[in-house]
Amino acid sequence: MSYKGTREAFSVALTELATIDERIVFVSSDSLKAMRAVAFAEKFPEKYIECGISEQGSVDVAAGLAACGQIPFVGTYAGFLTMRACEQMRTFVAYPNLNVKFVGINAGLVGGEREGVTHQFYEDLGILSSIPNVTIFTPADAQQTYEAVKASIEINGPVYIRAGSGREEDIYPAGTPFAEEGFRVLRDYGKDLLICASGFILNRVIASAELLQKEGIHATLADVNILQNRSPEKLIELLKKFDRVLTVEDHNVNGGLGSYICTLACEHHPMYVERMGLKDTFGESGGAEELADAYGFSPENIGKQVHKLMERGR
Amino acid sequence: MLSKDEILRLNLFSAEIRKATIHALSTAGSGHIGGAMSMVETLAVLYGKVMNVDPQNPHRKDRDRFVLSKGHSGPSLYAALALRGFFPLKELETLNQGDTILPSHADRNKTPGVDFSTGSLGQGISMAAGSALGARYMGNSYYTYCILGDGECDEGQVWEAALFCAQHKLDHLIAFVDYNQQQLDGSVEEVCHLGDLRLKFEQFGWYAQEVDGHEVSQIYEGIRKAQGQTGRPSMIILRTQKGWGCEYALAQPICHHLPISKEIEQQEIERLDREIEEMKRGMA
Repeated sequence: MSYKGTREAFSVALTELATIDERIVFVSSDSLKAMRAVAFAEKFPEKYIECGISEQGSVDVAAGLAACGQIPFVGTYAGFLTMRACEQMRTFVAYPNLNVKFVGINAGLVGGEREGVTHQFYEDLGILSSIPNVTIFTPADAQQTYEAVKASIEINGPVYIRAGSGREEDIYPAGTPFAEEGFRVLRDYGKDLLICASGFILNRVIASAELLQKEGIHATLADVNILQNRSPEKLIELLKKFDRVLTVEDHNVNGGLGSYICTLACEHHPMYVERMGLKDTFGESGGAEELADAYGFSPENIGKQVHKLMERGR
Repeated sequence: MLSKDEILRLNLFSAEIRKATIHALSTAGSGHIGGAMSMVETLAVLYGKVMNVDPQNPHRKDRDRFVLSKGHSGPSLYAALALRGFFPLKELETLNQGDTILPSHADRNKTPGVDFSTGSLGQGISMAAGSALGARYMGNSYYTYCILGDGECDEGQVWEAALFCAQHKLDHLIAFVDYNQQQLDGSVEEVCHLGDLRLKFEQFGWYAQEVDGHEVSQIYEGIRKAQGQTGRPSMIILRTQKGWGCEYALAQPICHHLPISKEIEQQEIERLDREIEEMKRGMA
């Protein structure tokens, strides 16, 4: 078992699942290669269902398969699923609560690096957050994507797994399970503030927390890996230990992690919140690191936002 | 070929489906009567003769599947299911009311015997494709039948599915287009002309036929020929008239969705009862 990046991680996990569960099939929208799933198709040619470039049809074909007892994974670009086939996901998979798994690649500004706005998706989580029955997994690296794919079949219903470009930095050591409670504390430097991160900018947020520690600001950093979790009690408990929270996500600040944390804070423990992410802007083509810096995700800029947050209410 | 008695029996079943549908719609006060009526003979053949379904065990794994892509025509499907014993006929009087198991559009979450939720047009055929593909994993133990409306063939997804089904040689999929020539804004020809639908599906790689959609014997023969195909999906274009079998609906210029009063129900049911009596005399 070896993989590099979120796409390969998906493919390896899918192949392992299909080896032990005959209900697993892969539905492709001319996306087999994009999903790095060629080896899967070679090993299980009868489980590889090619629909061609037709995401709407692909999602409904998957609904049909799921209604007949299969567990289809539909994998393609995040926006082609959540935008072009949004109604199909909502009405024909989520409403009847069918057991279809979705994997959306090129999610986020960094996930869609060098492809520009048409292939860069920072709205997927917001769209799905408003659809009942859908469980949203936001793994932060390849290892967590592998675990997320494995964890998804434990849920009898639709699951969306957010994946990236395949060039994400590895954070998690092998064998780290996908946190069922919906988050994992990765740094516990103190109670000055909580930083919640989600997705493939986690390496930058970790670097920022380390810088802040040296500057005397003691943050706790949590990787939030399930959005709109139906059992958020543990995360609420964590929030209650702080009076300031910063959210950092490679997504529009509306609808994703920032919105999720704001809602929990408003309803359970009002506090000062800053949200970092894309604010009223589209992305653009460029190298991942360059883009992340340009759109505010440098460790230094994250630190700057923390300083701003620390001033609030004082 | 259907025997004379079987034809009579299925025509009787059609009349009973119409009666129950009109009763349900008049209880609701209005509904999609036109499309519900035009597919009645096909429902009668499917649920009265062809489909392997078990009302006592609606989730049996090897059952034939049915996708009502034109989900707004749910009321006549519900009538057929109730008459087959999937649920009590009395339920038809709750059509589209709060807490009903019979919403206006077909819903697998609510109705015994409904395999797929539908209503948003142009999508049922893709789900039927998934269902037919699913049959392969179970040794082709069942057929999937799907009725599309003609108007919904305006949707691009229908043609995505047309390509897909041929590519995957889905010979256990038998689809119908209820070509009743009317959609919400006017005639199909005026709104978005479909041209030669049979030829279009043939060119997409389907085995395509055209039958009189109000003749049970032709529908049955079409299905038998479709079942004889290997390596390609089947399309049966049903030449129908929207509102067929309901004089009130037929008299309207467009009968897609109409108010149905108790008086209209009474007139239509009395007329259908007379037809039933005549048919029964024919049987005797």
